[in-house]
Amino acid sequence: MLMNFDKLGTWRWVLAGIAVLMALFLLLPIVFIVALSFGDSRWLIFPPPGWTMRWYHELFADPRWLQSAWTSARIAVVVMVLSVILGLLASFALVRGQFRGRAVLRAFFLTPMILPVVIIAVALYAFFLRIGLNGTFTGFVAAHLIVALPFSIIAITGALKTFDPAIEDAAILCGAHPWEARARVTLPAISHGVFSAAIFSFLISWDEVVLAIFMASPTLQTLPVRVWTTLRQDLTPVIAAASTLLVLLTVVLMIVAALIRKGKSR
Amino acid sequence: MLSFLMPARRGSGLGMALPALVLLLAFFVVPVTLLLTRSVTEPQPGLQNYETLLGSATYLRVFGNTFLVSGTVTLVTALIAFPVAWLLAITTPRLAGILFGIILLSMWTNLLARTYAWMVLLQQTGLINRMLMAVGVIDQPLQLTNNLIGVTIGMVYIMLPFMILPLYGVIRKIDPAILQAAALCGASKGQALRRVLLPLAAPGIASGALMVFVMSLGYFVTPALLGGTSNMMLAELIVQQVQSLVNWGMGAAAAFILLVVTLILYALQLRLFAGRGV
Repeated sequence: MLMNFDKLGTWRWVLAGIAVLMALFLLLPIVFIVALSFGDSRWLIFPPPGWTMRWYHELFADPRWLQSAWTSARIAVVVMVLSVILGLLASFALVRGQFRGRAVLRAFFLTPMILPVVIIAVALYAFFLRIGLNGTFTGFVAAHLIVALPFSIIAITGALKTFDPAIEDAAILCGAHPWEARARVTLPAISHGVFSAAIFSFLISWDEVVLAIFMASPTLQTLPVRVWTTLRQDLTPVIAAASTLLVLLTVVLMIVAALIRKGKSR
Repeated sequence: MLSFLMPARRGSGLGMALPALVLLLAFFVVPVTLLLTRSVTEPQPGLQNYETLLGSATYLRVFGNTFLVSGTVTLVTALIAFPVAWLLAITTPRLAGILFGIILLSMWTNLLARTYAWMVLLQQTGLINRMLMAVGVIDQPLQLTNNLIGVTIGMVYIMLPFMILPLYGVIRKIDPAILQAAALCGASKGQALRRVLLPLAAPGIASGALMVFVMSLGYFVTPALLGGTSNMMLAELIVQQVQSLVNWGMGAAAAFILLVVTLILYALQLRLFAGRGV
């Protein structure tokens, strides 16, 4: 009765009403930002008196925005590659390995995901000040890799668990070197997990704020750091323009992820 | 190498975990340990940092704010998430797909972009205040930013998906026959909800609530941008001590308290829900 939508009677409308309100609540800020970025009111009056591309011009006219976006992209790509490689190796160990304490090791690998990122940020900041990695590209990558790796491991172990090792064995029996079998048989079979790991890792690094605030230097800033420092001064519509482009990127990546999932189920 | 021909060698595979292990030891375990030792060594050895933190009204207010906001956020998200997850579990795949799309879109939209939107929406001349005034609910604009109300709204927005997803997982697995049985035995809809559906969904509610509560306790960005300096939460206190006051001992002590509370709640979650697949 309660698990059948058509038999809920008047309760149907209560549930549907709450769901619609929640959907509006979730969509409101996103739609609002996109509209705001084209509005011509510097004081963010809504609905705006007119429409303009001015904030996008200002965004692209200021080299610091592009520079920080470029820094973000470089860091995110390196984090993505390393996170997938380390995640693949660690996942093979966790799923196929025969050693004591696998469960403990898995829990340990996932800890950075559970701890508040502010603790990791402050700890790494102190550590990097000591060893001279603060404000460096390497420091950024190391910090983001720590928080991206758990997501990569979850995505890849999930895919690897559903793959039967006997198929890899068959390839070896047919004469493939064990590593060749892994690369040419197992890897394509778990590619959807690897792609999810890559997308997650990229997005985590690209969007990450708290670690970035601590790792940044005046000459090395990621896009979120630039947005953060601007936000602390004023709520200029240029940020709405930058945010709109970020929303666009999210939508594109979500579609890519959905296509990968669809390809897997086919 | 052939898994079915060879007896498994003990310790095999551990080598592949080594790169990740080394990375985490070097850039996670060592830095966090070094930080925590500073809480009892700076400015001089002893527990005085903890005494100050837990003994002064200023700092106790920070703890109070943190627990108050996290508790409210957890409660509000649970109240919204339960009916939504319920609907998701029983509605058509098409409608569920649309709702999931919206949930994932909001979840993956840049955190700063979302927080910026709420800063603009909630300000004195913002859309929310002007809409409330146009409808006639209020005469004067409400103060919705630079206080804990703004933080709560912004955090509910961020945490909703983390409550809906685990709840959906649990409700979807409930056998509709059980509720049919309740109806056949004469239970009204209200009774079936209270005595059958809610108890069956309780593990999902508890697990989602713990997760949201733990995440809220250590949250930094939203409280810092929507809360203002006079209504600090714990993560802001840590950052302020380290960045503005360069008081590493106090910052480290506050971080240690946050770490311990987080780990205790996480252990509780594992213990309560181990093996239930939530």
